[in-house]
This record gives sequence, C-alpha cells and structure tokens, in this order.
Amino acid sequence: MTAAAHIFRLDSVSKRYGETVALDNINLSVDRNEYVSLLGPSGFGKTVLLRTIAGFEAPDEGRIEVNGVDVSSLPAHKRGIGFVFQNFALFPHLTVADNIGFGLANRDVPAGKDEIATRVNDIIKLVGLEGLAARGVGQISGGQKQRVALARTLITEPKLILLDEPLGALDANLRGRMRNELRAIRERLGVTFLHVTGSETEALAMGDRIIVLDHGHIAQFDIPDTVYSAPATPNVAKFLNRYNVFDGSVSGTSFKTEYGDLAFTQKTKSDRPAYAVRYDRVAVDADESAGKGPSVPASFVASEYLGSSIMYFFEAMGGKVIEVEHHLSNGAPKTFDTEKSYRLRWKPEDAIVFG
Amino acid sequence: MAVPAKTSSSTAWLLIAPGVLWMTLFLVIPIAMIVYVSFWTQTTFKIEPTLTLASWQQFFGSDTYLTSLWTTVRIWLIVLAATLVIGYPTALYVGLFVKSKTLSTILLVVCVIPFWTSFLIRVLAWRPMLGKEGAINIVLQYFGIVDHPIEALLFTELSVIIGMTQIYCVFMVGPIAFMLGRIDPNIIEASRDLGAGFWRIFRKIIFPLSLPGVVVGAIFVSVMVLGEFATASALSGRKVNLLGNIIVTQVGSLKWALASVVGVILTIIMGIVVSLFLRVVDLRREL
Amino acid sequence: MESRILKPILAVYVALFILFLYGPFVVLTILSFQQGPEGGPQFPIVEWSTYWYRHIFGLTEASRVAPLPIGTSMVRSLTLAFMTMVTSTVLGVMSAQAFRNKFKGSDFVFYLIVLGMITPGLLTGLGVALVSRNIFNVDRHWWSTAFVSHVVYTFPFAFLVMLAILNRFDASVEEASWSLGVSPIRTFRKVTFPLVFPGVLSSMLFAFTLSYDEFSRTLLSSNEQTLPLAIYGTFAVEIHPNLFAFGVLTTLFSFSLLAVYAILMALSVRRAKKVAIQEEIA
Repeated sequence: MTAAAHIFRLDSVSKRYGETVALDNINLSVDRNEYVSLLGPSGFGKTVLLRTIAGFEAPDEGRIEVNGVDVSSLPAHKRGIGFVFQNFALFPHLTVADNIGFGLANRDVPAGKDEIATRVNDIIKLVGLEGLAARGVGQISGGQKQRVALARTLITEPKLILLDEPLGALDANLRGRMRNELRAIRERLGVTFLHVTGSETEALAMGDRIIVLDHGHIAQFDIPDTVYSAPATPNVAKFLNRYNVFDGSVSGTSFKTEYGDLAFTQKTKSDRPAYAVRYDRVAVDADESAGKGPSVPASFVASEYLGSSIMYFFEAMGGKVIEVEHHLSNGAPKTFDTEKSYRLRWKPEDAIVFG
Repeated sequence: MAVPAKTSSSTAWLLIAPGVLWMTLFLVIPIAMIVYVSFWTQTTFKIEPTLTLASWQQFFGSDTYLTSLWTTVRIWLIVLAATLVIGYPTALYVGLFVKSKTLSTILLVVCVIPFWTSFLIRVLAWRPMLGKEGAINIVLQYFGIVDHPIEALLFTELSVIIGMTQIYCVFMVGPIAFMLGRIDPNIIEASRDLGAGFWRIFRKIIFPLSLPGVVVGAIFVSVMVLGEFATASALSGRKVNLLGNIIVTQVGSLKWALASVVGVILTIIMGIVVSLFLRVVDLRREL
Repeated sequence: MESRILKPILAVYVALFILFLYGPFVVLTILSFQQGPEGGPQFPIVEWSTYWYRHIFGLTEASRVAPLPIGTSMVRSLTLAFMTMVTSTVLGVMSAQAFRNKFKGSDFVFYLIVLGMITPGLLTGLGVALVSRNIFNVDRHWWSTAFVSHVVYTFPFAFLVMLAILNRFDASVEEASWSLGVSPIRTFRKVTFPLVFPGVLSSMLFAFTLSYDEFSRTLLSSNEQTLPLAIYGTFAVEIHPNLFAFGVLTTLFSFSLLAVYAILMALSVRRAKKVAIQEEIA
C-alpha cells in the first residue's frame, strides 16, 4: 500500500446554512505527522470545517479524503478520525478509565478485556493521569478532564486528531502547560493534529503550519513565520492582532488614507487595498510635524503593561485606534501625555501593502 | 444537529414513523369514524352505513339532549373559573412566594399525591363528605352554623361542580406555579424599588408572565371536564346528564349513531376551545 | 410591606387548599374502619373495625354485601398498565429522539402526538370501538382495543417527558462516541440511554399510573372489566365501606410504586458518583 503524503485532503468543499456560507469552496491538504493550527475569528467557519471533516456535518458539495480514501459518504464512526471537544464531552456516567477505554470496548470488533486494561494503563501514564483511573469524571479538574479527553481519543490510534479549541475551557496557567504537552504527545505518537483556535498566539506557538480561515475560505496556509511576517490578506493581518491596518487606496508608491499619504516599498496582490504596519515597528515622536517617511498624527489614550513589552494605545482621526508595542529589551518604558498630540512613524519598508 | 444533515430527515422519519402510524390508526381514523358513523342509519339494535341525518335531527329535536349540551358547557365554564380562582393563589404561593426550592417542590408533590389514588375512589370520597349525614354537615351542625343538615350538597349539580373542582384544580396549579417559578425575582424587586404596589406588579408583571401556565392549565381542565361523565354519575344521583353521560348510555343501548353525533359535537366544542386557547399561547414553544 | 401581609395569608390559604384536596380522602379512610357488615358508608361510626378490609380479601363470612369483583380485573389492569408502559415509553423515546433533528412536518407530528393526550377518553374509546366493530368486525378486548387506546393516551406524556430531557442533553458526548469509532446504535445504548434514563423512568411511571387508573377509554373499548371498570360498576348499585377500604389499599399500593420509582431514581443518580466517592475515601 502506498500511503499518500497527505493525511487528509478537501476538494472544493462548500457548506451553507440558509443564506450564510460557512465553507466556501475549500481546497486543503494536510501532511502526515504535522501539527496544523486553524486560526480565524469565531463564526468564520472553523468549527464547521472541523465538524465536516469529522463527519458530524455533511458538506453541500465537495469531497473529503482521509488516508487516501474518500470518506465523503462515510458516517463519523467509520472515518477513523479523533475529535477533542472544547467542553471535553466526557461521558459523565463513566469513570476515567472507562471513558478512556470506551472506544476500544465498544467499536464493532471490541478489544479483549486484558488488552483494554493494558492499553488504558499505558495511555494513562502517557498523559499523566496516574491514580485517577477509578474516579468519576465529575471529580477531576479541568486540566485532568482535558487529558482524559485526549487519552480517550489517542487510545483508538487515529492518524488524524481534530481539536476544537481544546484549551479554551482552561485557565491561562494551565493553558501554557497543556500547549507544551499537546506538542510533546503529538510528536511522540506521530499523528497529525488539526487544532482550531481563536487565539493567534496559540496558533503561532503550536502549529508547524497555520491555516487562516476568513469567511469560509482559506486566506493563508503557511508556516507561522511567514504568516506572521507576511500576512497574505488584510484580514489575516487583522486576525493576527499584531498589525495596525488602514483602509485606503494605492496610488503609485504611496497609499492614500484619511490620515494622509503613507509611503511603502513593496506590495502584495489583493482584492481589497489596505496598508498594514506591525505594532512593534511603530515609533512615537513628540515632534508633530509630518517630516519624512510614513506617519500618522494621533493622541495618546492609554498604556498596558505586558511584562516583556508595553502596549500604547493612540487615537487617530475619527477614533481609529493605533497600537504601538514597545519591547522592554529595547529600553525603559516611556510616558506619554494624554493632553498632547504625537506623530506615529515607521519605515516605509516595514509596511505591508495590499492592492 | 447530531446527524449529518443529508440523512437527518430520513432518520427522523424512520424514528417517528411508528408513533405517527399508531396515532393515525388509533386516533385519527377512529375520530374520523365517529364523524362518519354519526350519519349512519340506526335501527333498534343495528347500524347500517346508509347515510342519513336522522341521528342529528334526533339530537337537535330533543330537549333532553339540548339541555345536556347546555349543562355541559355551563358546568365546564363554572369548573374552569373555579379551578382558576381557587388554584391561582396556591400557585402564586408555591411558585413565587416560597423562596426555598425544597419547600415548593414538597408543596407540589403534596398537591400531586392524591393522583395516586384511583380517580373513581377520589370521586366517591365526596359522598361521605357531602351527604346529609356527611362530614361537612356534621361539622356545620357541631359549630351551630346550621340547624338542619343541608341536603343540597349531595346529588345535585353543586356536588358535581365541587367534585370536579377538587379533582382538576391541581392541573391549574401545576402549570401556573411552573411559569411563576421561572419569573426572575429581580424584575419584581426592581419594580418594587420603583414604588409599584403589589396589585400593580401583579397586573403588569406577574399575571402576564403566568398567562402561558393559565392557558395550559385551562386546556387540561377544559379537555377533562368536557369529556367527563363519571363524576356526574357518581355525585349527581343521575340528575346531571353531561354529553359524556349520553355517549355512555347510548353505547350501552347500542345506539352507536346517536353516540357518534354527541361525540362529533364534543369534538367540535373541544376543537374550538383548544384552538382559542392556543391562539393566546404557542404550546410547543412553552414546552 | 404588602407581601409581608400577603405571604401569611397565602400560606393559610394553601393550608386550606391542601385540606380541600385531602379532606375527602381522610373522611374516606375514617369510614373504611366502619363496623360491618351492617355499618353503612356514612357517619356516625357504629364501631371501629377492620371488617371491610377483611371483606375485600374474602376473610369474612358471607353476607348480603357481595365481595368486590377485583381479582381478575386487577391482574388485567396490572398487565395492561405494564404493556402500555413499555409500548408508550419505546414510542416516546423514539419520537423524542427524532425531534432532535429539525425535520419536515415536525410541527404537524408534534400536534398529532399531543392530540392523543388532549382528546377526551370517551372519544378515543368510542372511535376505537366503532373502528373495531364496523371496519374490522373484531371483538373488543382489554389487551387489544383497550391497549391501543391506552397507548394513544400515555404515549404523548412519555414523548413530552423525553423531549424535555433530550432538549437539555448535550449532543457532543454522542459525537465524541462516534469519533471513537462507536456506531450510532451502540452509542445510543451506551451513552445516550444511560444519560437519559431518569427521563425514561419518569415516562414509565407516567404511562403506568395513567393506564392503571384509566377507565373512560377502557369502558367503551373493552368487553372485559379492568380494575377501574369494576369500581365504576359499583357506582350504579349501593356502595359499601368495602369500596373505601379498597381505596385506601390501592392508595398504599400506589405509594409503594412511587417509592420504587424514587429508589430507582436515587440509585441511578448515585451510581455514577459512588465509585468516585469510594476513591475519595481510599
């Protein structure tokens, strides 16, 4: 058997709910043994995409292939795809061990009792749930529930696991720890994870590659570094929550906006013209004169301390908020006056222009 | 949506089919049959499917039957009003005034417990209550409220009304208490802070919010009272003849066609009453 | 404030209301201990005795008061109630399960089912009797025509109870089960059903008690007597305190049934927690 390089492939998959298009002609192929994050704001089709791959929803059009096999018409339980739910969806009437062994014990050809016991034990060790096997799932913490949900899926040895905001229900501390664990477990088992998240930091931190979903279509699918430094569309830049994005129109080597003409050096092809500049590439100047290079006049609103950096919020004409990030490794925090006006400046080569 | 959309409708129909089939065969067709048979020809002990209006003419040409139609409607309206008037304050207390969930559950259970006694026994229990030598007369005489026992209590229309009110008023209390229990206490608190008196709060907030409960209760009570016959035959000494009693006696003497006529009339009244109530409240949404 | 006056008034009112509900039954219980066989179903109590209880079980000497015809009719009623309970619960679970998906005609089907509980028993009984007599030309029995008309009545209750339970049911545990390779049928057996079991119990209780006490449908759709029909039959003739004693006994029986339900309910709730608690102690 020659295994295809990709673990799953979507061919022109579309899905509508009445008037709203949830998935718009999606073509996608994900490789074996890779960690893919799926980023997009809520309501932009992420969960629908995941549920369609899993077989919980049927697409209106298109073809889904898993492991080289067309599964479009297969019901969910025959697809061999793992799914981890945001609310964990543990079986409340079963113990931790029974939850984990559920798939082995109840598939069409159930495994033997001893085999189940051994494998449940192994997986309990792998995810670090020792000593909790006999507990009811109501008696364990959120992080432990997360592990049970993962263990329950891993034990059925799927080649592809879909995770729907798996860290969304955990507190910030735990989320950080679980990120590392998820990555480690995945690498050890060599499965593919498709991890849906609404958090750009989570997507960037965890994915070997990132899919950015925008209004039901794939806006960008690339490695984190490329997505981060070269967003493919204005919306991707916006979702990353790292760019100030200005609307306007391209005119020669400058971009016309209501805040003035902004210079740039390179341009990306796009349907929608936009001018983006990263938060940490913007400098604040007390000198209000336009001067050379792209700049926008703005007044200081507030600042927010983030530990390794500090965010400054400025307001330009018409209430447009411009964010400036100052890394503390680049010097002590500065103080600005809410009464005064400032000039926000950056280098033209730092601007990303779509048009 | 638990099942892929494409298959969901057919799966649903597969699951629902036995129920739909059952209700069609054993409810819809039988009711249609009542309508059909009401036009059949009745001879002394037989009916024949020759269509005629004879049974209908017999019904509307007889004072006895028309009187019982009127009696049925009158008793229904009185019992409906009585269950509402007697039940509402109880529901108000259980659903709104009792703050503890446990206590209100206990009170509701206390109201429901009599239902685990046979309906007929509960009806019958009114006889030693209302009779000439019954409990009520004994108590009234003991306290010197009356000199002679009140005979009008038993085997009259009044005893039927009392019996029905007692038996059915829980069906009014339950739904109303349920709706009242769902009212956010903050709304009432807020309007009290605005200086609204209880009566005003009741009229403007409490009653409108409990209305779906009233309607559901009214539907229950109406449907049961309109189809009644046992209470009347047990407590009225055959003085009160409801439409239900006529059906039972006519079937007893094998007059199926006339029984069917009464059945159709009952169905029509019921249909009007229920659809009027449903106009006020969407039953499905409330459930 | 006003509620400070209103609340105690309402409390007193509710007490009176409960007296109104229970009064007749209390009187009935008292009179069931009437002396026999001469003592009648009214006050005063000639002499306290358990005569009428013994009378029910045939433990008294023959007298002018005939024993209640309850032996076979009770067996019939219990069997019929059991059949009705199983059938209407199965139908109720299936239909409510179907309603979890929006399907074409669901509004119509909803009202069709609910119609069964709001159609007066007499009409259902009359209709079923007419259909069996004049279309199929079959005899009416408690296990055939009466049974189907009982289910028409109890199935909607089971359906509504299950609908309420399934509405609050989190469907993602089922999807989780499918994603683990477990077929939908097995998922229903192993996940859905255990989780909605309290609702199933309630449906069963509803169906059983409604059917056990049902008589207006049975009256027209069965040739044989069930227990309520046997009681109804005594209405026409003179009543004796044995009927009261019987009422007390059936009520006690209902309470034991209710107690079984409560115990089963408590067990099914506790079962899941039990293991965990043991673990906690250890």
